[in-house]
Amino acid sequence: MQLSPKLAAKFDKLQSSYPVKRSALIPMLMYGQDELGSVSDELIAEIARRLGLNNVQVEETLAYYSMLHRQPIGKHHVQVCTNVACMLRGGAELLEHAKKRLEIGHKEVTKDGVFSLEEVECIGACTGAPAIQVNYDFYENVTPLNLDRLIEDLDKGKRPEPQGVISGALHERAKQETPLISKRWGIKDSHKIDVALQHGAYQALDKALKQMTPESIIDEVKQSSLRGRGGAGFPTGLKWSFVPKDSPKPKYVICNADESEPGTCKDRPLMEMDPHQLIEGITIAGRAINAHSGFIYIRGEYRYVLDIVDAAIAEAYERGYLGKNILDSGFDFDLLIHTGAGAYECGEESALMESLEGKRGNPRIKPPFPAVVGLYGCPTIINNVETLCAVPAIILEGGLTYANRGTPKNGGTRLLCVSGSVNKPGIYEIPLGMNMKKFIDEMAGGMRNGKKLKAVIPGGSSCPVFRAEEIDIAMDYDTVAKAGSMLGSGGMVVIDEDTCMVDMARRIMHFYAHESCGWCIPCREGTSWLKKMLDRFHAGLGRPEDIDLIGELSMNMLGRTFCPLGDAAAMPTISIVQKFRNEFEDHLQGRCAYNKSAEALIGSR
Amino acid sequence: MAETKLVHLKIDDRDVEVPAGTLVIEATRRLGIEVPSFCYYPGLTLQAACRMCLIEVEKAPKLQTACTQVVGEGMVVRTNTEQVRNARKFMLEFLLSNHPLDCPVCDKGGECELQDMVFRYGADTSRFVEEKIHRPEEKWSDLVYYDAPRCILCFRCVRVCDEGMDVKALGVGMRGAHSIIIPNREDHLECEECGMCIDICPVGALTSGTYRYKTRPWEMQYVSTICTHCSNGCKTTLSVRNHEILRANNRDLSGINKEFLCVKGRFGFDFTKHPERLKQPLLRKGGKLFPVSWEEAAQAAATKLKELHTAYGGEAIGFIGSNRASNEENYMLQRLARATFGTNNIDHHRTADYTGLVTALGERAADSSLTMEHLYQSNAVLVIGNDPSNQNPLVGWQIRAGIRHNGAKIFLVNSREIKLERKATQFVQVADGQEAAAVRWLATGEGQLAAGVSEKLAALKSALEAEPDVAIVFGSELTGKAIEDVVAFGLKLPGKVRYMALGDYANSRGAADMGVLPDRLPGYAYLDNRGVVESLAKHWGAQVPTKQGMTAPEMIDAAQTGRLKALYVVGANPFAHFGKSAAGRGNLGLLIVHELFLTETAQLADIVFPAASAYEKDGSVTNTAGEIQLLHKAAEVMGARSDFDLLRIVSHQLERAGLGKAFHFKTPAAVFEEIRKTVPGYNVESIGLLTGGAEPTKIEFSKNGHAPYDVPVQLIRPANDNLFTSGTLGRFCTMMQTLPEAEAKP
Repeated sequence: MQLSPKLAAKFDKLQSSYPVKRSALIPMLMYGQDELGSVSDELIAEIARRLGLNNVQVEETLAYYSMLHRQPIGKHHVQVCTNVACMLRGGAELLEHAKKRLEIGHKEVTKDGVFSLEEVECIGACTGAPAIQVNYDFYENVTPLNLDRLIEDLDKGKRPEPQGVISGALHERAKQETPLISKRWGIKDSHKIDVALQHGAYQALDKALKQMTPESIIDEVKQSSLRGRGGAGFPTGLKWSFVPKDSPKPKYVICNADESEPGTCKDRPLMEMDPHQLIEGITIAGRAINAHSGFIYIRGEYRYVLDIVDAAIAEAYERGYLGKNILDSGFDFDLLIHTGAGAYECGEESALMESLEGKRGNPRIKPPFPAVVGLYGCPTIINNVETLCAVPAIILEGGLTYANRGTPKNGGTRLLCVSGSVNKPGIYEIPLGMNMKKFIDEMAGGMRNGKKLKAVIPGGSSCPVFRAEEIDIAMDYDTVAKAGSMLGSGGMVVIDEDTCMVDMARRIMHFYAHESCGWCIPCREGTSWLKKMLDRFHAGLGRPEDIDLIGELSMNMLGRTFCPLGDAAAMPTISIVQKFRNEFEDHLQGRCAYNKSAEALIGSR
Repeated sequence: MAETKLVHLKIDDRDVEVPAGTLVIEATRRLGIEVPSFCYYPGLTLQAACRMCLIEVEKAPKLQTACTQVVGEGMVVRTNTEQVRNARKFMLEFLLSNHPLDCPVCDKGGECELQDMVFRYGADTSRFVEEKIHRPEEKWSDLVYYDAPRCILCFRCVRVCDEGMDVKALGVGMRGAHSIIIPNREDHLECEECGMCIDICPVGALTSGTYRYKTRPWEMQYVSTICTHCSNGCKTTLSVRNHEILRANNRDLSGINKEFLCVKGRFGFDFTKHPERLKQPLLRKGGKLFPVSWEEAAQAAATKLKELHTAYGGEAIGFIGSNRASNEENYMLQRLARATFGTNNIDHHRTADYTGLVTALGERAADSSLTMEHLYQSNAVLVIGNDPSNQNPLVGWQIRAGIRHNGAKIFLVNSREIKLERKATQFVQVADGQEAAAVRWLATGEGQLAAGVSEKLAALKSALEAEPDVAIVFGSELTGKAIEDVVAFGLKLPGKVRYMALGDYANSRGAADMGVLPDRLPGYAYLDNRGVVESLAKHWGAQVPTKQGMTAPEMIDAAQTGRLKALYVVGANPFAHFGKSAAGRGNLGLLIVHELFLTETAQLADIVFPAASAYEKDGSVTNTAGEIQLLHKAAEVMGARSDFDLLRIVSHQLERAGLGKAFHFKTPAAVFEEIRKTVPGYNVESIGLLTGGAEPTKIEFSKNGHAPYDVPVQLIRPANDNLFTSGTLGRFCTMMQTLPEAEAKP
């Protein structure tokens, strides 16, 4: 097919950027769709031809990703998030409003083709909830009124200025805050290299390359007791040390920027306001394991962030912080940013690597672990954005100093994004080990509208919930684990007394059913079953035996699925059934005590 | 081979010792313990997707999948605890939640792995009260239908199509509970139509267009026999109801082909009930063929043969054997020619130079033959000419399996770009028809080749020199002298070298082995081999002629000139293959044909006997690799008789007319007993054959001072059949012929 010169150039560049051509598949589909409005048969054929694939390989991949469309979507694709953080701030009502205003439903296009509407999962704007995206533009704290205005403006051909920086990232620092990796936030043009350099960027890289050996870098990181900030909390230094030193294969560093755990939006500001810190951290990690190539896998929704980071990478190449012979140290390192296309599962490290190889984001069998057999079958370390952003600070101030910022075995600071029913939703950098109750009451400004606290999701929707009386604990990995939940990804969602926990369980399960990759039976069928059951139950059609069945089906998924997504769906559900059984029983009486009458609920299905 | 370390472990309190690296699921099978699974399929990549094989491993924090867990020294495994039983039960509960449970109308009912597992491990009640996801059934091709709701997403079909077939026509669409299998052309398939996906499907998600809604599995009988199409000798299990073949597959993995069958083996059986099947003897009267009684046809044949023999002698009578008929039938035909008519005018349509290969190997013939299993296990495979994936599908499958499982290296010398090239370690493209020249260069370093080719051949040669065993497979591009060259090249390689000549048709090799050749006796013995001649004379009670006979093309020519007065054709179409169509039957006084259909040759005949196909008779056939296997009668077509029966009838009529001795064999097995005694290499263990196996022939051959062998140009004529054609027979395989892919092929 005839491509525009711009797209043809983009395709040419993409297909020569990766060690294996197929890796360019998803970016090519995304950029192709951006220009053509959908993924047409001709586009599939063109991409297949360029990458040496057959069309079923292209089709099965594109069918997996929720941002890729075979049918044309509207010129303005309005995506309303209704996931937990937005739900607590009126996301569902906003969606209903948008449906009425645009006179179309979920995944429908207006007759004139100008607008299309989609209910989407967490878009990483939780501290600005409710949030929407129009194409790649973010609009936060959206009310029905300003949604109307936005639509009017768009209809007139205007492009209302999107949110510059995620809401809640810039705020007056509380005195308990310890800005370390967020220290350059708020500085004007902090994403530009000159500004970043003025404020200390790349000093750690200089030190790591000139004064340290790969072994001493790993030792320093081990000493810092830095643990993975993506969710699992695995010790970072230990992970790096698993990379075989004698492997003849190339080694890779991957930065997992597929931030999509509901309630989590910390990687986004880290990249939009301080991309050079991330580039520096990745390069140091590359040095530590003797890798010469790295990738940032960023979720497809964060296109503007991708552009910021991509520009920063170009600057870094220009100034010699990337590329050949970095800072005259003899060390070479290349870095490429890669877009996802809408799939929560690709946040799982092995699924991410499949996706980066241009395939469906199905996780891989482990062992072998990525440190031994990772991207393209080569030793690979894969770390979350926040984890890698902490590396320059660790190198500069020393592992021990960093460790001492937190509690034993829980070194350093942590970005917490608090959303939901609090007065000051936002992203805060605090030392690990701060008291959770104190954090909510003080830093997050306490409960909104003076409501009573009902529950807290401590670290993204995959975590078991805490009841109000359970939160007087230190926020570090081990203490939260002991209390029966997880610190997870740092996405804290605070739930007030007006929230229906059945509805919460229902919405959480909708997410996992939507995101289940379909690879294994228990997750694929379990999440789908539970979703339908919770829908029915919440609508007032529950049976007494359903309450136990919800718990039991979740237990039957737990620990038996191929990857942790099944556990992630099961854990919050089990905890909600256990801790809020009374609310389920209320529904059996035909009432939802918190939002609507049973009749209204049935009608809203 | 390096000795594999053994690992001891305990499974359900029983000790077992298995090689290191074994998967727990395989170790349990060794003890006869069933660990259920859907996605695990030996030989395909691991999935760990269905989670049915969860087991307890001591010290592991949670249940492990037996299909990915590798055995460890001292490991303690439990497969039948409360926790494991519950996991299975609830996994099946999940699986059935979106399953339509339409077993009463599902083709798979009765042979469905999901049914079996629910029966054994499932719950007795259903707790799912929600709405099921439904999608309409899709027709992907005339042969393949997909019913998404029944699909359990074990991905066997996707893997067998990609890894096994290297076709990649199937993929996975959507995600989560909406995941489905998708075909490569949006709403339909364009592929090799092998149907592997249908057979490998554990449930009724993929069904066969030719079988669906026809019957229930328990209403059929199952007959294992050998596919009658190409020369590879795949076992196909025919499902038969009321003497009619309804399905062919090989789900019991019992043959040399294991699960493999191509489109011909799986769907190419409908010729048996083609409306044009001959069901009565035909006799030419007044220029036209009329149906007559068996007595009339048989008497006419004998009377006329006797008359011409008396008038012109055996020299004026020719016989053309069949490359689809059984060994027994071909043996009987050549015995009839030699013992009764005293002529060596016997040949068949030769598609590979087996004579050349046996002669070139000489005394080495017995242990240099390459079986299909050897081919799979070889470290390196050199393929010269041919297009195995298209012309010899099992050979292609074995080569691909060797690459996947054993890391075998593949070297190709070919003038065409063939599909196997994608998997090849090295591909040397030579000019059209230059395969023999390339081999000459490899053997002797002599000859002119196109620029760059000799460098590539040198690289190929040194790569093969490093291999401990090498399989050399070649097509009809190599004959006579060129085969001498390839053997000479093989002799120079330090590793063990084995050879396979690729012919066409189900029993080309058998016809040659049986001595359906004008210049060789059974077992390729020279006509002047006194020992063999004497032995045959004793068994036949007749003189064995020693004058070389005419080849098949020579006989057709001699028919034109009138030198040949009578031609007796069994299951062949020589006037289409060798004749000049306008010339007709020439000056033949008598043409007798055994056939299934009124082919070009049959149309010219004086007497046509309706013959049974391979699926309608017992006997044995020998595949191109020299492996003997048994045919078993599956179907019955009223009116047709096996060539065995026909030759017996004719021999009795001849005896009555005063010519030769009648055959007194009661069954094909009795003929095989004689073959074991008279054909060197066929004295194989019958137990292997009787239990459904393949027994390699061990041809004992001696050159006895004969001059190097060469073969006349144009004598070896490949059929050039592809996946969708099968010589004359293929024209009557309606289903195969109407596939769009068949029309697309040249």
